[in-house]
Amino acid sequence: MSNSLTLAPAPPSEAAEKVRAEVREFLAAELAAGTFRTHVDTWLSGVDPAFSKKLGERGWLGMTWPKKYGGHERTAMERYAVTEELLAAGAPVAAHWIADRQSGPNLLTYGTEKQREEILPRIIAGECFFVIGMSEPDSGSDLASIRTKATRNGDGDWVVNGAKVWTSNAHHSHYGIVLVRTSPADPAHRHAGMSQLLVDLSLPGITINPIRILDGGHHFNEVVFEDVVVPGDMLLGEEGNGWHQVTAELAFERSGPERFLSTYPLVAEFGRRVADSGDPAQLAVLGRLSARVLALRQMSLRIAAALDRGELPNIPAALVKDVGTTFEADIIEEIRKVVDVTPSLDSPDPLARSLAEAQLHQPGFTLRGGTNEILRGIVARGLGLR
Amino acid sequence: MSDQDLVVETVRDILGSHEPFVLTADRRWDERLWSALAEAGLTGVGLPEEAGGSGGELADAVAIVRTLAAGAAAVPVAEQLLVAGPALVAADLSLPSPDQPTTFAVADSVTVHPVDNGDGPGRFTLSGTVTDVPWAGAASSVVVLVPAPAGVEGSVLALVDSSSLPATDAFNLAGEPRGSLVLDQAAAAGALLTPAQADEVRARYALARAVQLAAALERVLAWTVQYAGERQQFGRALGKFQAIQMELAEMAGEVTAVTALTDAAVQALDRGENVVLAAAAAKVRAGAAVEVVARLAHQVHGAIGFTQEHKLHHLTRRLWSWRDEAGSELVWSRVLASGLLADGPDGLWPALTRVV
Repeated sequence: MSNSLTLAPAPPSEAAEKVRAEVREFLAAELAAGTFRTHVDTWLSGVDPAFSKKLGERGWLGMTWPKKYGGHERTAMERYAVTEELLAAGAPVAAHWIADRQSGPNLLTYGTEKQREEILPRIIAGECFFVIGMSEPDSGSDLASIRTKATRNGDGDWVVNGAKVWTSNAHHSHYGIVLVRTSPADPAHRHAGMSQLLVDLSLPGITINPIRILDGGHHFNEVVFEDVVVPGDMLLGEEGNGWHQVTAELAFERSGPERFLSTYPLVAEFGRRVADSGDPAQLAVLGRLSARVLALRQMSLRIAAALDRGELPNIPAALVKDVGTTFEADIIEEIRKVVDVTPSLDSPDPLARSLAEAQLHQPGFTLRGGTNEILRGIVARGLGLR
Repeated sequence: MSDQDLVVETVRDILGSHEPFVLTADRRWDERLWSALAEAGLTGVGLPEEAGGSGGELADAVAIVRTLAAGAAAVPVAEQLLVAGPALVAADLSLPSPDQPTTFAVADSVTVHPVDNGDGPGRFTLSGTVTDVPWAGAASSVVVLVPAPAGVEGSVLALVDSSSLPATDAFNLAGEPRGSLVLDQAAAAGALLTPAQADEVRARYALARAVQLAAALERVLAWTVQYAGERQQFGRALGKFQAIQMELAEMAGEVTAVTALTDAAVQALDRGENVVLAAAAAKVRAGAAVEVVARLAHQVHGAIGFTQEHKLHHLTRRLWSWRDEAGSELVWSRVLASGLLADGPDGLWPALTRVV
């Protein structure tokens, strides 16, 4: 088997278990105080800036980043434990999720000192939220076909025209890292001529239009850029290096526990039902689902350990995301086979509610962050097939 | 080169001159391969030298078992190195010579009577039929886990000399012997185990099969990737077709999941943790991967993979067998779920984060 797919096992981390216990205690207190209710897929739908700020105060944002920017210089294994606990509890983490997961790390790798000093401390405080500006109306999986373009004006600033879609929570966010064409498309070099811009979403010329998902929820947006003037010093990284930077960003986007825990609150609810019924068929399904969770945790932990070693495991991340998101969707069918329950968003039965939330969010799991077909193509490359 | 690499290299060298063959009632195991492994001291690895083993770490024993499983080797090494041997050592019972194969079986319908009154290691007589004995008829000893005598909690772990016991002809889907042995007042050294200790032994058996499954799954993926790269149809390699790439990627996902969880369970065992739930999870996850990996491997190999002349069946038939041995996914999934819910209806997540 190709080495590019396999990672070394993650060593046990006492520090991670320590912070895990702290997060668990915090979440129990918040739940008891009624500051949030558990939901499915809260890293998309659970926007709560006050909650994000509390996490910032406790040092659970920007955990691995340098102290000179206000970060906490903790390990990726510790950050893994924190994110995992938040997801398992179905806590409202959507506001800061993108900034903490990938925008901050992107700034740390490619940002200027000024950009980092201005923005990173605010992300760490849970006060500055980001969107991903990659997909466009005509560019989904084929990201290299984007048409949003940026041209330099006489003042050295960038003038941006185009539109981005599926920009989660743009209506609550402060910045976007936007992939734009800075040179005309060249069919012979499809990945050339793109750059990333750090765009303040309050700039004139930006319109944010809601796109509602199946349950009516407003998380996605279309962000339209009409002659938006972005200051020249807001280029992120190198002009023309956009494709490479986006690829590196995707390693962070694809590798975390949110790629298999989006529907965990449904499993937890099912577990309560099984504890009550003791039904052997339900026990068996819970055992099978649990075994899959446990395997995915080990796969995801290996990625966290690789990040701690300074690696950027793109191919293993694609593989974990494929397996994990498939699992997120399978949970619904596995539970349906052994529980007679009618899913409903307004049911008094928490299992019926979780099922309804999971079902209506399910098509997104295997699309967002790269479709599973794209991911399997990346895995096939790891296997040496292309 | 680490010790472990050296061990694996030695096993590979030996395996190189022992091609897997179709097992039949007349040729039910690879005695020559066993002798070669025993001569090299590999059938005692991971068992303490003071007990008569070859010494070395659990990781070395696991590496040997993995290499042999991937090579479809017809020898009782997994049973001896990962189950029977360590169970005897843990129970303070003497090990038979590692040169002679010792297997393991759970025998719930066998009755046992103490010959003396000791609580610790002692003498017992056993009566009844031990079913599903791996390598029955080939192994010279069998370690059996039987329910403790009436009125006593727990189980008895006993070492039975099976060299002169006739085994029934029963085989798994790969032709590996899984016959029964009839015990009639068989005298055996044994030890009383607590229910928790007995659970650990069963878990070790499941984990041994999970380790074998993981290794065989990895090899089946490697064979299938290689075949897809070589086989030309419509003027190009099969592996160039997106439909085939999707299938191979799906196989890789399953294999990676099994390896990650099985490795973690083995490491937990090595750290001396209770591995009942970890082994249960590893067995369930490995068993679940078999359907996907074996199905797609055969699909990609096409008709040639459906023949006895092609090597694929040596591993796919073992995969289909091993997933149901030492407790099926059904059995272990219930053990896992019950264990995870032991702290109550809200304890599932904390329990999941403690398993491995």
